[in-house]
Amino acid sequence: MSKVSDYAFVNAKLRARIGIMRSSHLIDEMIKAPSLGEAVSKLEGTRFGHIAEVYRSTGDLQQAELSMMEEEIASYREIAGYLPAHSARFLTVLLEKVEMDNLKNALRLWYSDVVRHHMISFRSAYVCRSLIVHPIDYDKIMNAESYQEMARAFAGTPYEEVVSRFSLDSLTENGLFPMEIALDHLWFKHLDEALRHLKGDDRKLAEKIYSVDVDLKNILMLTRYSYYFHLPPEKLKSVLIPMGYIATEADKRKAAESDDPMGTIREIVERHYPQISEEIAGIRRTTDDLTAAAENADQILRIEAYLGERRKKEYMKLLGGSPFSIGVVLAYFFLYKHEDSLVSAVLSAKNYKWTEDRIREALS
Amino acid sequence: MSMFTQKMRMLTAVVMDNDREKVVKALLEKGVMEFVHIGTLPADKMQKLSAHASTIPRAALTDMRVRVETLMKEGAIALPDIEKTSIDDLPDLDMEAARRALDRLSGSLDTIRGQQREINQKINFYKEMIRYKDEKDDEYLDLRVGLTSHGDSKDLLARLEAIGGVFLFSSKPFISLTLRRDSSRVTDIMDKFGWTESTDTEAQKGAMAEAIGEANERIGSLEGELRSLSEEARKRIADKEAELKALWINVRVHELCEHVESFFSYTKNTTLFSGWVPSDDTDDISRTIYDATGGKCIIEWTDADQVDPDSVPVSMTSPKILRPFERMVDNYSTPEYGSINPTPFTAIAYLCMFALMFADLGQGFVLLLVGIIGTIIYKRDPLRKDGLISRYLCNLLLYLGPASMVGGILFGSCFGRPVFPALWFDYEAVVAGEPVGGLVQSVYDILAITIKFGICVIYLGLFLNWINLIRKKRFFELVFDKNGLVGGVVYTIGIWFAYGFVGSGYKEFPSAPWFMPVLLSCLALVVIKGPLGYIIGRRHGKGRESIARVAIDTVMDFVVEVLELFSGFLSNTLSFMRVAGLGIAHASLMSAFYQMAAMPDNAVAAIAIAVVGNVLVIVLEGLSAGIQSLRLNYYEFFTKYFTGHGIAFEPVGLKSRIVSD
Repeated sequence: MSKVSDYAFVNAKLRARIGIMRSSHLIDEMIKAPSLGEAVSKLEGTRFGHIAEVYRSTGDLQQAELSMMEEEIASYREIAGYLPAHSARFLTVLLEKVEMDNLKNALRLWYSDVVRHHMISFRSAYVCRSLIVHPIDYDKIMNAESYQEMARAFAGTPYEEVVSRFSLDSLTENGLFPMEIALDHLWFKHLDEALRHLKGDDRKLAEKIYSVDVDLKNILMLTRYSYYFHLPPEKLKSVLIPMGYIATEADKRKAAESDDPMGTIREIVERHYPQISEEIAGIRRTTDDLTAAAENADQILRIEAYLGERRKKEYMKLLGGSPFSIGVVLAYFFLYKHEDSLVSAVLSAKNYKWTEDRIREALS
Repeated sequence: MSMFTQKMRMLTAVVMDNDREKVVKALLEKGVMEFVHIGTLPADKMQKLSAHASTIPRAALTDMRVRVETLMKEGAIALPDIEKTSIDDLPDLDMEAARRALDRLSGSLDTIRGQQREINQKINFYKEMIRYKDEKDDEYLDLRVGLTSHGDSKDLLARLEAIGGVFLFSSKPFISLTLRRDSSRVTDIMDKFGWTESTDTEAQKGAMAEAIGEANERIGSLEGELRSLSEEARKRIADKEAELKALWINVRVHELCEHVESFFSYTKNTTLFSGWVPSDDTDDISRTIYDATGGKCIIEWTDADQVDPDSVPVSMTSPKILRPFERMVDNYSTPEYGSINPTPFTAIAYLCMFALMFADLGQGFVLLLVGIIGTIIYKRDPLRKDGLISRYLCNLLLYLGPASMVGGILFGSCFGRPVFPALWFDYEAVVAGEPVGGLVQSVYDILAITIKFGICVIYLGLFLNWINLIRKKRFFELVFDKNGLVGGVVYTIGIWFAYGFVGSGYKEFPSAPWFMPVLLSCLALVVIKGPLGYIIGRRHGKGRESIARVAIDTVMDFVVEVLELFSGFLSNTLSFMRVAGLGIAHASLMSAFYQMAAMPDNAVAAIAIAVVGNVLVIVLEGLSAGIQSLRLNYYEFFTKYFTGHGIAFEPVGLKSRIVSD
């Protein structure tokens, strides 16, 4: 099969869908709406129309968000159905990310119940229980009384090994964060494997885009967990995703073993992403001083905003590239998720009665 | 209906500032004027004019209108028509009061949504329990049957309800069904009341079924409550229908007034404005302004031919019956000012093409029925969203159905069967290779008919173009353009040549003493078009170019024009073969389905195949015929005479849907 026959139909379909995505106009109208109900009404006649329906019949925003996620899963499956086998396999790995987020929600609920002894009864309904990629027993996770019981929910899935590395004691001591990081690493490992199965230009394209994706994720990890949460360098190394330019370069220069590990990593980041060097340099390693903490938070927000924008640009570049490649598919799902996240963020903000200015500031 | 675009005149008026509001409202009521900014006055005079100062910013008015519309939509309330009386008695617009009223309504809806959310969470909770039971995951459930030794059972019930579950405390022993993950909390509470498990084995056995039955009942009742609350939300908006409609009218009229006044300019005591009006309405507009100002005004009319024709907005009037075809024209573009109104020609050409491609009395009747039913449904529910078969399509089917029926009568086809004798020729029989006499004996004859039809359409297009060019006094293009006279002559020669060749059985080309001189004269006209155009351009003040540049342009233009003349007309004409192609495909498909229907011995299966075949043909062929007809109109017909360079006339009135600057 040629590239044209592989991608002509699906990419034409996706380009048409991208053409009618009108997030900026819709989001602006939603932000202007004086109440949550009125913001939801703006979704009528868009691809989020079903959310308005769910909200009107249940009044439950989280229920509406669950339906948004189910729609996303259906969309991945639909598009995978149009793609050749190797590209469809890659898309399944992208769908694993959705599964991973859902899984993390279930784990957080379990953690909340068993470790922190908070009631989770009503909240458990907002976890998607149907099969996404792997047969995970979500009911078992959320009803487990012990760590071992919870771990059994992952039997026969790739997550089993990750979960087996932890225990109730370690989670009680360190929180869920290490497990979430380990799951992220697992997903990136799957992504790396899936990238190797892609062919020719598709592989080059996807490797390039995900290399930037990983770099951006690693920068966020560095700024958040090193400067903000004071994670020591040796632990930081285990947190970094071992892919992309930054991690590879840090490994090459043996940054963790150097006299100034953070200085070396900072130098690598600044060289490759000079646009944020000022913000990174501005972050101070102290949280004792409240002013410094607030300034750090501002710097990190600016870094996140830049990285988000950079990521968007990288994906938008894909649309200007070859029309018969996996690029359009990747760009579509990026824009799809981006639009979903924006709609979701505005609805949440409206639910908490944020002002128009505050929402705009948070989204910018 | 006007054969050509409507004649326009430009109004420039000066009224006293005191009369401004009355004038604006009167003009809005008429709704026949497209306002333009005063930009043509000398600069020194313009400096003395000031722009409109808004009392309420238009953006605020638009936001308010959108907000009212959003609430009305949620309450399934249709937007009201703005009548003259509603403008005359228009109350002052208190934006703050309006905002407070809408906030109150919105707030009360939020309260309902909050109640809905709580109910929905309970439903989810009970459903989770029932699912565990149904999926035999009893291990996640915690069923307790027992009695308390002390304390008030009502107090216990209240505390347990806060955790969530099914609690049957009306008879003893008490039943408690909760989720196992909450069991420690349940135990803590129960211990405080001295809960002891019952030893009544019968009660223990039946407790689960009883609790699940209760959970099911509660879901039923909660879902009822959820529906009532949804209804209540709609009712709360409906209760405010009159207020919302009045507010919408008030905001909308203010918004329109602001829009109109944004075009106005002011001196200390007067207001100056200008705009385009169809010439049929000029007297009416003059009278309206005189009446509104009590005669204290100055009105000046400028004819469209005194200004640049490219700046004159274009209005076409077609009878209501041709509305669906007017939309086809609008979708393509706006014709130039003063040119022929393409709508009636589009209607005739489109219907003829569709009838030739989809000729069937029975299937046409089905299309008509779908059109009628759809139109009735949409009329009954004006707020209904457009489905796959949209309002527009329903409207169009009211025309396409009868066109197809007429085609069916001409070709003797009803649901693909020769139920009655054909008025013209039996299409299906010809396609099947079994003609029953007459001039049409094979599919080649059908192809020839459609090519002749195409030639007529192309000639009509050329003829309309010539009329447009004469009316616009563009004689150069009339003579030299490829769609002008030279193009017409070349096309005629081409047709004569092709018919001669086909008539000889594809053996020899026709010859005539006039052939070469006429052809060469046409080519000579194409050659001199460039240099002549340059000379005329120079006389009209266009820039000088080098002789080499003009020569190169002439050669290049000649090559391109000749290619376009010959290949363009040839492909345009042959394109009409698709009309025969679709017609033949229609007949062949019907024949194939009837052959399939004849295969099984079972009569029911035969009827089912015939019905499915007819439905498929109606949907797929109907769609193809509709699209191909549109394509032929747009690419083969419109390109001959329809430049689409006009600006659409957008008068502002009370019924204007969109207000744009």
